[in-house]
Amino acid sequence: MTSPLIWLHEDCLNPHSPALQAYPKAPRVFVFAEDPRASLKRIVFQYECLLEIPGVEIRRGEVVTELVQAAREHNCQRLVTMSSVAPQWAAICAILRDDQQLSVEVFAPEPFVDNAAGEAERFDLRRFSRYWHPIKARALSLNPPFAG
Amino acid sequence: MRMKLRTEFIDREDLIAYLREVFPAAAERSAAVAELRGGRQAAESLLQAMQPARYATTRNHLQGAVTRLSAYLRHGVLTLAEVRRAALRHAGAEAGKLVQELAWRDYWQRIYAQIGAGIWQDREPYKTGWQPVDYATELPAEIVAGQTGLQCMDSFAQELHRTGYLHNHARMWLASYIVHFRRVRWQTGAAWFLAHLLDGDPASNNLSWQWIASTFAVKPYYFNRASLEQFTDGQYCRACQYYGHGCPFAATYEELQARLFPKKSEGETNK
Repeated sequence: MTSPLIWLHEDCLNPHSPALQAYPKAPRVFVFAEDPRASLKRIVFQYECLLEIPGVEIRRGEVVTELVQAAREHNCQRLVTMSSVAPQWAAICAILRDDQQLSVEVFAPEPFVDNAAGEAERFDLRRFSRYWHPIKARALSLNPPFAG
Repeated sequence: MRMKLRTEFIDREDLIAYLREVFPAAAERSAAVAELRGGRQAAESLLQAMQPARYATTRNHLQGAVTRLSAYLRHGVLTLAEVRRAALRHAGAEAGKLVQELAWRDYWQRIYAQIGAGIWQDREPYKTGWQPVDYATELPAEIVAGQTGLQCMDSFAQELHRTGYLHNHARMWLASYIVHFRRVRWQTGAAWFLAHLLDGDPASNNLSWQWIASTFAVKPYYFNRASLEQFTDGQYCRACQYYGHGCPFAATYEELQARLFPKKSEGETNK
């Protein structure tokens, strides 16, 4: 199987991310999109994060266009990335899959606390206290007794 | 403009000069570059230096033992889980407050996952007696320029532009000043913060602004000078031309409530 292309984005610039650990030799690309609000200091910060990721390729342009081009250049038929809650991230993944016919493998970062009921755990998000109460004991323990 | 960017630099100055050239519009909007360095190495150094027990007792003070990890968490350079573990190993039960603050970030992220672009909409009605239309949509230019004459607010605005960082309490005061004392929509202030904060992300930023505004809280957050003075050691007040007269914050909470929310007949406010 050919190597995938790792898509790095601003929500996961960790050189030890699960995606990079799973494919340590895969080419990895970050794309700076045109952002009319971006300040230079934010770009510098992100760039410094990127420079600590070995072998990173940094591009500028429209994200999907650049990823497709990079996949072509590296002879990759699939992409790997870290999940994000940002709606733009989901939209880009959908375009890559549906319009570009690329498979996209997604890794999730380690959760804040182990899920008591696995992925099925539901949180009451109406107020912080409702979210916090059921996870408090797990969050404050290094070895929660009922960790999944 | 499409291009592949350089990844080899002699030093930080070389990198910054290159990025000014490649991103001229961003440099024109705000030319400042933060002292805080990006990257996992810098993040790990701060993680080592973290003082969870002192954080618990001093975090509301501008000189308190805050972690400065927010920009790294926002960019996933560190995970909440590893900071949580490090805090518990450092300080055991005394890390409780820090872990709870980490949980706020996880909470905001989970809401963002549910509502997406709705993060820019009022979650609930204002509890200030005012309607959304009563709030201005433009940020007053003197606030952005740091030229209101109020030493505290001007210092915060300049620090935001220069460093891309503000202590959480300074964010709360500045946001409260904008929304409640100047009656500007929280969305306008949130967009300004997002453009400059190194740790800015729509989840933590916007939902915190909504908490201040009362569109995601049971009451608005506001403050008075005595509180600001206490948590800043009076560093701004001493240098302020309005200290003796004209400070909009020099009042009791009851006086401020009557002035800021005259249409609000009953109920309490966050202080």
